[in-house]
Amino acid sequence: MQSMLLRLILKPIMQLNQIKDKGHYKVLKMDESQRCISRLMDMGLLPGELIRIRHEAPLGDPISIEFKDCHVSIRLKDAAFLEVDIINESTQ
Amino acid sequence: MMDQRLSTIALIGNPNTGKTSLFNALTGQKQRVGNYPGVTVEKKSGLWKLSKTESLTVIDLPGTYSLSAQTIDERITVDVLSGNIPDLSPSLMIIVIDAENLQRNLFLASQASELGVPIVIALNCWDIAERKGIQIDSKLLEKRLGVPVVPTVANQAKGIDKLALAVKTALSNKAIMVRPKWPEPVQEAVDTLKADLSAIDQTSQSLSNGEIQRLIFDASSAVADRLKGEKTQILEAIEKAKETVHKGGFHPNAVESIIRFRFLKPILADIIARQATLKKSIHSESIDQLLLHRFWGLVIFVGMMYFVFQSVYSWSGPFMQLIEGGIAHVQSLASSALESTPMLQSLIVDGVLSGVGAFVIFLPQILVLFLFISLLEETGYMARAAFLMDKLFQWCGLNGKSFVPLLSSYACAIPGILATRTINDKKIRIITIMIAPLMSCSARLPIYILMIGIFVEPAYGPAISGITLFFMHFIGVLVAAPAAYLMNQCIQRKSISIPFVMELPRYRIPNLKNIYGRIYESGYAFISSAGTLIFAFTIIIWALFYFPRPANIESEIRNQYAVELIDESSLQAKIDSAYLENSFGGKLGKGLQPIFNSSGYDWKITVAVIASFPAREVIIATLGILYSLGGEMDENSRDLRASLKNATWEEGKRKGMPVFDIAVAFSIMIFFALCMQCGATVAIIAQELNWLWAIGSFISLSLIAWVASIITYQSINFFL
Repeated sequence: MQSMLLRLILKPIMQLNQIKDKGHYKVLKMDESQRCISRLMDMGLLPGELIRIRHEAPLGDPISIEFKDCHVSIRLKDAAFLEVDIINESTQ
Repeated sequence: MMDQRLSTIALIGNPNTGKTSLFNALTGQKQRVGNYPGVTVEKKSGLWKLSKTESLTVIDLPGTYSLSAQTIDERITVDVLSGNIPDLSPSLMIIVIDAENLQRNLFLASQASELGVPIVIALNCWDIAERKGIQIDSKLLEKRLGVPVVPTVANQAKGIDKLALAVKTALSNKAIMVRPKWPEPVQEAVDTLKADLSAIDQTSQSLSNGEIQRLIFDASSAVADRLKGEKTQILEAIEKAKETVHKGGFHPNAVESIIRFRFLKPILADIIARQATLKKSIHSESIDQLLLHRFWGLVIFVGMMYFVFQSVYSWSGPFMQLIEGGIAHVQSLASSALESTPMLQSLIVDGVLSGVGAFVIFLPQILVLFLFISLLEETGYMARAAFLMDKLFQWCGLNGKSFVPLLSSYACAIPGILATRTINDKKIRIITIMIAPLMSCSARLPIYILMIGIFVEPAYGPAISGITLFFMHFIGVLVAAPAAYLMNQCIQRKSISIPFVMELPRYRIPNLKNIYGRIYESGYAFISSAGTLIFAFTIIIWALFYFPRPANIESEIRNQYAVELIDESSLQAKIDSAYLENSFGGKLGKGLQPIFNSSGYDWKITVAVIASFPAREVIIATLGILYSLGGEMDENSRDLRASLKNATWEEGKRKGMPVFDIAVAFSIMIFFALCMQCGATVAIIAQELNWLWAIGSFISLSLIAWVASIITYQSINFFL
């Protein structure tokens, strides 16, 4: 419990849908029971993979992310099943 | 296909890998398009001439990322590859792989390799990869994978000879790709599941390890559906196997991806060399900076859609006029040639020739729309358009891909419904097709203009007229949105929904052959399937309004007007009107009139509604005939406007009162805005889905329109 709290303070784990900034992130956890996650995994997005948030649609949803030379659009409600960690500040 | 000795090979690959280009390059124009039994997934096959004496049947399977059976396309792919569709058991598969995206593409290859069918890999887009400084050691890859790897440039038909050679060799030595070694829990699960299943049913012994894997890894497997035996027992066995995997520390849905990608990594080590001057998809990225920009991206999108819409709405006009003119010319020729036999004359002129015209007239719009759709898809913009618009559609269960078909439906539902072929989610495609007829198409415009011109503009001025016209185009959306929401809720129970995870492919220069192929396919499918139905509808409606035509009607009317001075053409118009009134259709209209009583329609309007079933715009001509003005009326005709204004009820409690007033005008417009008025739309829905959906949409839209027209009529009368 303590270590988890510590981790939360030191390294905030974020759900991908809550992120406002474009830039590079590392995937920490994926909820495997979700169909959208199976789909992303089939495309090669696995825990540990680096992703880049590239675009946000004009109405704020969906967003587009890039991983392994692959540019994919996902909805925010699906992005909620991805936990990520920031790598560095926006590198635009 | 004719020759039973021909081997069948299957073409599989991720979307956007140039698979269709390769299929076109292999088979040329010798292709046939059909459906897989029981589902509306397009089945494309063709003949590949390897040499003068040898040919192969090639099946082009839908583009998929995975065999995990989340979409109907993936299910079909699994079924075909595991030899479970009669007459379609491939003895080899060519896996098309995008040279720029080896790892992801090889994932599918790795899945497919487990099904036991020999594999040849076509490493496509070799030229683009080279141009970008990506060099792939295909010989080394071939050695490591254990199957032939042939570099190809499908859109230039390069590498086809080598591919043919590799296929011939692989057919004889049955090369199988290397497979990953599965962790202990997975192996155990596969073995026990196999044993458990054969205990339930003997025939499942023939299942390959690949098929057993699909049962364990997929959330809802295509293989499970075809297993024989007690369903609950089967599901229990599968659950048990999944549990084994779970206990071993893996999630059954994730283990496949993790193991396969881990397995592919060392295979791909040192295969790809990127040159120092690496321009890694910079090109696509900078285009996206503009096209997916939150403001400019939207501006360009609106501009582009306006262009597409205009092309369908107006620019196909001249071609349609040309067809109309041509048909009219032939009609007048036939008419004068058959003067002596009036029934045959009417059958040929008003039945057969109008019937041909009734479907050929749609061709310009279909071809023009598919030119743009294939351009948008080939370049990669279509996915961007769906990305930009997706949010608008999310709440009612649709997605951004519904936008282009629905927009096109504002010009005409026929090309719009055909355009839903770009939607790969079956459920969303069905819903989009069902609501497409609610988009107010151009054929409904004449009735709006006629009614507004007589009853709105003189009384309320041009501003209100404009608002009315806009409202008529908008009301369909108001009904369509909740309808889509409801349908989504209802269909959801039965079928799984597919997550909207969509690749935004790299931008590409479109391939002319593929564009030609798409346009040709859509036109051909329309003519051969829906076209015949539309033709049949026209003939039926013609017969309904032509027969029985008793000869005494003409003589009676001539006697009646014998003393009056009346010119021959108005006499003829009165005779035509009387014939129409006494035809089966006329009687049907009179019989059905009570249904429309609360909507304020008299029998003439009811007849016009029925007669315009083959094509909505016919209502004007029908009203023209009914009011003895002849069939050559248009919505701006003064005579027709005057006749409608002066028309009174012939009988009943409203006798002597005017038929048309503002309430009836709105009631008619609302009815036309919402009803499934056009037989061609029913035909195209039957072609794209099936008759059940077609009849269902006809009935439900007619009901909606009927109720709406009653509400309109009654409330206007109540408030005014």
